[in-house]
Amino acid sequence: MNVGVAHSEVNPNTRVMNSRGIWLTYALGVGMLHIVLLSIPFFSVPVVWTLTNVIHNFGMYVFMHAVKGTPFETPDQGKARLLTHWEQLDYGVQFTSSRKFFTISPIILYFLASFYTKYDTAHFVINTASLLSVLIPKLPQLHGVRIFGINKY
Amino acid sequence: MTESAGTKTEDCHAANGVKPGRNGMVKNHHHHLQYQKQEKVYHAACNGELYSRPFIESFEETPMLVAVLTYMGYGILTIFGYLRDFMREWKIEKCHIAREREEQKDFVPLYQDFENFYTRNLYMRIRDSWNRPICSVPGAKFDLVERSSNDYNWTFEYTGRVVKDVINLGSYNYLGFAENTGSCATAAGEVTVKFGVGVASTRQEMGNLDRHEKLEKLVASFLRVESAMAFGMGFATNSMNIPALAGKGCLILSDELNHASLVLGARLSGSTIRVFKHNNMQSLEKLLRDAIVHGQPRTHRPWKKILILVEGIYSMEGSIIRLPEVIALKKKYKAYLYLDEAHSIGALGPGGRGVVEYFGLDPRDVDIMMGTFTKSFGAAGGYIGGRKDLIDYLRTHSHSAVYASSMSAPVVEQIITSMKCIMGEDGTTIGRSRIQRLAENTVYFRRRLREMGFIIYGNNDSPVVPMMLYMPAKIGAFGREMLKRNIGVVVVGFPATPIIESRARFCISAAHSKEMLDRALDVISEVGDLLQLKYSRHKVLPSLDRPFDETTYEENEE
Repeated sequence: MNVGVAHSEVNPNTRVMNSRGIWLTYALGVGMLHIVLLSIPFFSVPVVWTLTNVIHNFGMYVFMHAVKGTPFETPDQGKARLLTHWEQLDYGVQFTSSRKFFTISPIILYFLASFYTKYDTAHFVINTASLLSVLIPKLPQLHGVRIFGINKY
Repeated sequence: MTESAGTKTEDCHAANGVKPGRNGMVKNHHHHLQYQKQEKVYHAACNGELYSRPFIESFEETPMLVAVLTYMGYGILTIFGYLRDFMREWKIEKCHIAREREEQKDFVPLYQDFENFYTRNLYMRIRDSWNRPICSVPGAKFDLVERSSNDYNWTFEYTGRVVKDVINLGSYNYLGFAENTGSCATAAGEVTVKFGVGVASTRQEMGNLDRHEKLEKLVASFLRVESAMAFGMGFATNSMNIPALAGKGCLILSDELNHASLVLGARLSGSTIRVFKHNNMQSLEKLLRDAIVHGQPRTHRPWKKILILVEGIYSMEGSIIRLPEVIALKKKYKAYLYLDEAHSIGALGPGGRGVVEYFGLDPRDVDIMMGTFTKSFGAAGGYIGGRKDLIDYLRTHSHSAVYASSMSAPVVEQIITSMKCIMGEDGTTIGRSRIQRLAENTVYFRRRLREMGFIIYGNNDSPVVPMMLYMPAKIGAFGREMLKRNIGVVVVGFPATPIIESRARFCISAAHSKEMLDRALDVISEVGDLLQLKYSRHKVLPSLDRPFDETTYEENEE
């Protein structure tokens, strides 16, 4: 934790998602969120699944596509300041294992939510909109693109 | 006289085999010669043709449960960080951070608020473990200035007391030359009276003294190379000389764990930089072959030169470079080799000449020998050794030689005196016995830690001993608990290390006596039990204690 001293990795954010156990922790985290929501009375199972999907996608959107820069200083003179965490991943290289995993996982959660909501129309619309909000920014074509200037600065 | 290949192969195989102990007990050995990200540790035979001694290193993988708990720990800390930021924003909690003034709200911000998130919310809570002021020379023991904090480490107050006789496991004092008494200190004092404390000019101008010339001749003879050049700053030796060696149209192959000075020098040179996996010869060879086959990007012309950057001992990992294999690859593909011996000079090899002597190799096979005087010599600055035409070129093209002020005369004298001591030219065996004691202390300390069940990284002969702590809460806890028991250690965490590999890094010194090491080991075991740090799943049976012998390579030799 020697902040500000010599360090060979320019941006540690590029490697966090490749560390051992991060995928398992992510899956366990989503599972724990689901169990916590299931424990709340008054919530039916379809509502819980939709809430799990929406909360998960909202968190993923915020931490991967809205928050820009790094929470610590990096020696790259601010190059990463305008990049979202998703754009910093794996030095910007597309189609890496981590990118594939984090692209597929909300889709799997969406399938599960659709199944357990018995394809109800209202739940379907909410879940689909939520899924698109995290899937569209992950497209390789939209790397570094800011549609209508959203989140540009 | 070189040994036969058969003998070398036999030595290597014996190191991997299982032999009955002295009393017939078969010891359970684990030699992990290769670190693979995708697999667990496994046995691999070392190449007997290249190595003249066993190459034993261990990188036990992080247990999966510990990894998950570590991520959860960081996740919880992040959530509390956002909560604290919210409370500061709404004045619920007092704000100690630099803030924009209200009148400048509509201007471009002066502070990058998010870049300070880690510092103010995670680092600040445990920053008492770092940057502790000391009030004595950092030898085997040192004194710390005691300080306290009333606002959770935002500010410190000196209590006026001194923590005395703290065992120092944090300084790079490999050969114990951090002393304020003895022949080195005396000689430095005399030179200070004669030459003063600084020269205020560069090597190319008025700053060249005859002591500098003498030092460079001594360094060249110590390294057994044609010529050498000294610089006043160790970091600048790398960052200011690599731009003088490589430029546009060159390729630099850099180990992924190289020090920031090497990374900065590579970047300043304007060369293309490619990174190979840490100490992974297959990765390096693949990059070399691809570079030669495909040439430069787009034009596919040959590279002007290919430079391999490696370090002798990696200071965060404790590993030793596989230099025989790197030299074989360098010769095969006709690349240049830049070897940074910042930590390994003085700390490896029977004569303290570094990793080249440790493996019994020819110094002329290494094109650029770089090292620092800041660790084993108790001084400051660095050197570059090599052929005479290389050094003459650097004298006129090195940024350090042209622009930086040259080394201070008492620092030069400290280096000269300690280097002569190491070479035995002072007529004593002090240097040789220090090197021997460092090797003995290193092997003993590592073996005891491994027997206790800690996960230790690095080569068995490396005096840098990283011990895994993993969870962020244990970083500060370990540092504090050790200092309570009068032992000073260095703890390191993310972002300086991978996120699940926070560690404590012990630096063994020849100045440590066995009683000090035993005391430190007892305390580490006690704190390890208290914080549950004994993560290793490969239990090592306690071996029979026997005196260290430099010629004994096998752990279980009868």
